[in-house]
Amino acid sequence: MKRVGKPVFFIVVLLIALFTYAAFFGISSTFGDNTTTYIKGANEIRWGIDIRGGVDVTFSPPDGVDATDAQMDSATSVIKQRLLSLNITDSEVYTDYNRDRIIVRFPWKSDEKNFDPEAAIAELGETALLTFREGINVDETTGEPTGVTKDNVILQGEDIKSAFASMNEKNQYVVVLELNESGKGKFAEATGRLVSESYPNNIISIWMDNTVISYPTVNAQITGGEATIEGDFTLEECKSLADKINAGALPFKLQTENFNTLSPTLGMGAKDAMVMAGFIAFGLIAIFMIVVYRLPGFVASIALVAQVAGTIAAITGFFPTIPSFTLTLPGIAGIILAIGIGVDANVITTERIREELRAGKTLDAAIDIGFKRGWSAIFDGNITVIIVAVVLMGAFGAPGTFFAKMFSWAFFLFGPSTAGTIYSFGYTLMVGVILNFLCGVLFSRLMLKSLSRFQCFRKAWLYGGEKA
Amino acid sequence: MIDFCGKRKIFFGISIALVLIAVLSTFIFGARLDIQFKGGSILTYSYTGDVDKAAVQNLIESTLQEKITLQEATDVASGMTNLVVSLTADKSLSSEKQTLLTDTLQQTYPDLNFQAVKINNVDPTIGKEFFGKCLMALALSALLMCIYIAFRFRKIGGWSAGAMCVLALLHDVVMVYATFILCGIAINENFIAVTMTIVGYSINATIVIYDRVRENEKLYNKTMSIAELVNKSVNQSMRRTVFTTVTTVMAMAVVCIVGLIFHLDSILSFAFPLIIGMISGLYSSTCIAPTLWASWQEHKLAKAA
Repeated sequence: MKRVGKPVFFIVVLLIALFTYAAFFGISSTFGDNTTTYIKGANEIRWGIDIRGGVDVTFSPPDGVDATDAQMDSATSVIKQRLLSLNITDSEVYTDYNRDRIIVRFPWKSDEKNFDPEAAIAELGETALLTFREGINVDETTGEPTGVTKDNVILQGEDIKSAFASMNEKNQYVVVLELNESGKGKFAEATGRLVSESYPNNIISIWMDNTVISYPTVNAQITGGEATIEGDFTLEECKSLADKINAGALPFKLQTENFNTLSPTLGMGAKDAMVMAGFIAFGLIAIFMIVVYRLPGFVASIALVAQVAGTIAAITGFFPTIPSFTLTLPGIAGIILAIGIGVDANVITTERIREELRAGKTLDAAIDIGFKRGWSAIFDGNITVIIVAVVLMGAFGAPGTFFAKMFSWAFFLFGPSTAGTIYSFGYTLMVGVILNFLCGVLFSRLMLKSLSRFQCFRKAWLYGGEKA
Repeated sequence: MIDFCGKRKIFFGISIALVLIAVLSTFIFGARLDIQFKGGSILTYSYTGDVDKAAVQNLIESTLQEKITLQEATDVASGMTNLVVSLTADKSLSSEKQTLLTDTLQQTYPDLNFQAVKINNVDPTIGKEFFGKCLMALALSALLMCIYIAFRFRKIGGWSAGAMCVLALLHDVVMVYATFILCGIAINENFIAVTMTIVGYSINATIVIYDRVRENEKLYNKTMSIAELVNKSVNQSMRRTVFTTVTTVMAMAVVCIVGLIFHLDSILSFAFPLIIGMISGLYSSTCIAPTLWASWQEHKLAKAA
């Protein structure tokens, strides 16, 4: 990087300004009632449940019950089904097979004023009520069964021995259903009666609580207590349906002694205060840098703006196709720490430039040497911070994420994490430090070298040298 | 130029004294683990109107069949006074019992409009597991950093540099711990986040100085004694170390003040120990890590001679 042209400074500043505007305010267009988002702004940040309120709960079978993996799958599928029927779409569900735990986390719904988390927890943990019903008469508004479907329950959860995914002789995926003695007779009677009916009266609908999960038609009378449900299924769909059917036959009820809820009012106050603190702190840092380091301090402040904007873009996902990332209170602390490290990168190089100037070097030589000598310290410092960030993401990331897999050898003794908040800290810290390489090193250098070509900015004093 | 190596005995003395204070205060004040780690139950209820605390306490204790403590806390966001119910024993409630309590409160005092605004209910097993995982994460990052430093600073006796760096880190972690104990803050998730931050921050400061030692070692090619080399490097990095600490402490001080104004205990209990840790990091990375490293290298030379 020998010569940097005069216009480079303005190009870099313009790019940073555009990017910062986009990251904070987003870019969208409105045609009539349709708003198309091209770039997500800071208001699209998904706040963690420690800020906007929500529920974090761990379910497990009662003490002394050692659930099988299949039973845990069934229990998980019930919870997922119920989350959907509670209209909670933004949830995370993890299953720990070793410790028989199901971790569920979901935020407060933003449009819901009277959401009752205690009732929601109770409902999620309840035993699923599985029923096989005649026909498929559904109330249009409530989605509940009506008429003969309501009145004629053919089978219940306890009549079912098990259900599993399999493949039939035509190489199609099917769900195989095995019935208990109590179910055989009832099923034989119903299938015998319905097989001669015409569609849709020959349907037997399968319900979990008040939701239809499948509605096969009866093709033959089934007397042996073993039936198959055919359809245009994928293997995944078969497994999912089998899990749900098995859930109705679970011999236990899920319990919880580990649940945390927070109402949104408590957390949102903290968020606003933290955001305010962030702005004040940033302003103070910029003033301090400019007063102490003059021109390089001014350049450093611009680079820091870019770093913060970049971090926000990494949290919102920036482009609509990239999912957003949950930001928690420790996550905000991670951003602040990353800013501190960004300041440090600029301080290291600027101090070096100052030293070289005072040792009698020319301005251009001092800037070059300053960035060159400062680099190794910045690099090693940042890499060690990245190590911390990556370990944190590995330890407290959701099971199945990249870093969690990478460090599973170290944390296998401990169950999957319920603390998503620390993960957020690791993420913002890592993103901030990576951006620091780009902003604190590359952008600062481009801007400073470009500015130093202007005659009015060639005084050594502006860079920390002695006053001429 | 400050003669850091010449004063190292004073520095070591101060640090040992500080660590001793931390250990002593643990025995005097006791370390309190937060319910996130030890398990337990804290329920926060909002209400309107006046409440007879003694009667409510009796009602809760008879409903839950557990001993509790009852405190009032003001929620700054809404300006309302909340009741904070904590189980005295380190155990968690089942969701049925907790729901029963809410129902009982609402039925007994229909006018007060009791609502559970915050529930922290942690199963002791899960809490202990979480704590273990945090400590493991801490140990693992210390180990990985030690390996990295040993590799990058192999020219200046890598393992000794790495080990001294980690020792300085431990010093800072103890200082953060002492802050929690002396301020009466329970060891919680914030403690882990602060510790991790300080680990990253302090190692950064130490590395800047090691980097200077590495550079000067090459520049002066063993014409300097180890003490001279360390003194020169620390002094050259002094302005950077101080200014960086000033800016970051300033940023955290703003967070601290905002937390104080808005009574955000969780933020305050994060920001204040962080400031102490940063100051401790400034001290340990200039006065402890390089001088310890010098002592180690001198000892090695003396043995070789």
